[in-house]
Amino acid sequence: MKVSQDDIPPGEMPSGGQQEPTGLPFFKTWRGVYLFVLGCFILWVLLLLALTASYS
Amino acid sequence: MNPLDFVVLIGSLLAIAAYGMWYSRHHRDLSHYLRGDKTTGWLAIGISVAATQASAITFISTPGQGYESGLDFVQNYFGMPLALILIAAVFLPIYKRLNVYTAYEYLGRRFDVKTRLLGAALFLLQRGLAAGITIYAPAIILSTVFGWRLDLTIIFSGLLVIIYTVSGGSRAVTLTQKYQMAIIFVGMFAAFIILLVKLPVNFDDAFAVAGGFKKLNAVSFSLDPDRRYTFWTGILGGFFLALSYFGCDQSVVQRYLTGSSLRESRLGLMFNAVLKIPMQFFILMLGVMLFVFYQFEQPPVFFNQAAWHDAVRHDPAGKLQAIQQQFTAAYAQKEQDIHQWLDARRAGDQAAAATARAQALASLDRANDLRAQAKTVMQADVPGIKGNDSDYVFVTFILGHLPHGLIGLLIAAFFAAALQSKAAELNALGSVTTVDFYRHLVKRDAGDAHYVIASKCFTLFWGFVALAFALFANLVENLIQAVNIIGSVFYGVMLALFLAAFFLKWVRGTAIFWAALASQTLVFVLYFSLNISYLWYNFIGCAACLLLSLLIQSALGSTGKSSNTSPVA
Repeated sequence: MKVSQDDIPPGEMPSGGQQEPTGLPFFKTWRGVYLFVLGCFILWVLLLLALTASYS
Repeated sequence: MNPLDFVVLIGSLLAIAAYGMWYSRHHRDLSHYLRGDKTTGWLAIGISVAATQASAITFISTPGQGYESGLDFVQNYFGMPLALILIAAVFLPIYKRLNVYTAYEYLGRRFDVKTRLLGAALFLLQRGLAAGITIYAPAIILSTVFGWRLDLTIIFSGLLVIIYTVSGGSRAVTLTQKYQMAIIFVGMFAAFIILLVKLPVNFDDAFAVAGGFKKLNAVSFSLDPDRRYTFWTGILGGFFLALSYFGCDQSVVQRYLTGSSLRESRLGLMFNAVLKIPMQFFILMLGVMLFVFYQFEQPPVFFNQAAWHDAVRHDPAGKLQAIQQQFTAAYAQKEQDIHQWLDARRAGDQAAAATARAQALASLDRANDLRAQAKTVMQADVPGIKGNDSDYVFVTFILGHLPHGLIGLLIAAFFAAALQSKAAELNALGSVTTVDFYRHLVKRDAGDAHYVIASKCFTLFWGFVALAFALFANLVENLIQAVNIIGSVFYGVMLALFLAAFFLKWVRGTAIFWAALASQTLVFVLYFSLNISYLWYNFIGCAACLLLSLLIQSALGSTGKSSNTSPVA
């Protein structure tokens, strides 16, 4: 999906601020930060699945 | 509670209140009062967002949820990391660049005034209702601890929160939340450790008992629509619920708008995206371990002991006493069955373990039947008694098994949780009423000092509305579910307003306005006529509103164009 650029006053529509530096040592881009968060989520689901399977 | 507990409790509460009032002394302009001084770093924002969401209900009711139903409630949060990524990537940059006070100001710019007011009104309605429940939650603790009347306790604790919030403003809310969360986590961790130490079995046996009684079923891929928490409801319904809450609910939006930059606000949200599932897992696991603990330590028939004693007094036939005796016998049998099961398990005798486990499950069913009978008798003898006592499970453990001093700290932690979430909610309710309604419709050109006073007055007003609703909150069964149900009924449509604004460039104000009204009506009708997981209403409301807006816009053609360049007050 693409954000509608023409419905917000000029200059107000973001590029998503994706170019802004993250200031983090291991993640230079926001895409990397989001992937890390997604990875943590998947890891949690896998751990919960393992717990469910182990004791059910 | 002994004097040491009171010193810890009162000392903590006074320190928090004094801190909030100390920060109130410089509030001269509206921006500072509503958004702080915009110097807040990502950690403070992250904690503030987490604290706003994690109310006293989270720490009182969630262990009870874990005790009753196990870990499956954690699936409710599966959609949250995905939603927070979308908010950080799309919503947040827009809010920051537009420099808005409230999320609904953006709707005014993108669509028109009526859509902005509709979004703000939906927020006020659902948050005003939910706010009552967040006052009610800590009040049930005090009423249990001190034996006070619940209605007087609600009024007393509600007034304390209102005074703190009105004087504090947004900056004070954000800063005090850091210390309140510290109190909460110290208290919760200490309670968890003591609970583990008090368990009469080792970890492996404790997990075996919890698993054997189906309390560790954290993830289910069931497609049964009657099942409330599954992976699918969590991912889809939870995603929409989280997107609505974090993206469109002013009580949270206001927290991350205090960030000094886009980066700080973003990292604050990502902090929550990583932390929320483990945090909820920990609190639910506390409830599961409480369940294990009470398999070896006889629990009361009914955890709300004040209600139990009241019912016993109104039971001259002695039916409750008879149930109590049967319950004690059933419990003794169950404990014996569990020990046999664990012995067989340790000996590696699978067949004997399976048999003993089946007997233990049957004993648990008998004990649960007796609890259900007791509730029926109590409700017949004393009309108005709440049948669900799961909110009292953790409190009962605290009062009966924790050392003095820690009891005071835990009670202070619950109060801190109530203060921080309530403060954020009232702050947001006051902000939206001032900025979206009062400043926009009633008095456009007043000075900042006038709007700060107006905002304090509206915060006070909403505090009393929440107080009034809190007095009726005992009508709902489980508190944490009640808050999520209220949110789910309203959030879908609220979210659709924002998604249409961001992604559907053809849709204009008139189309989305009527689509939102029709969809909200549809959700109300479905809620009262269907019996499906409430999380689905987030999705239904959102999808219906987006589809209808496209249909209406197609019917209207270009004539439905709204004044998207209208000034924002």
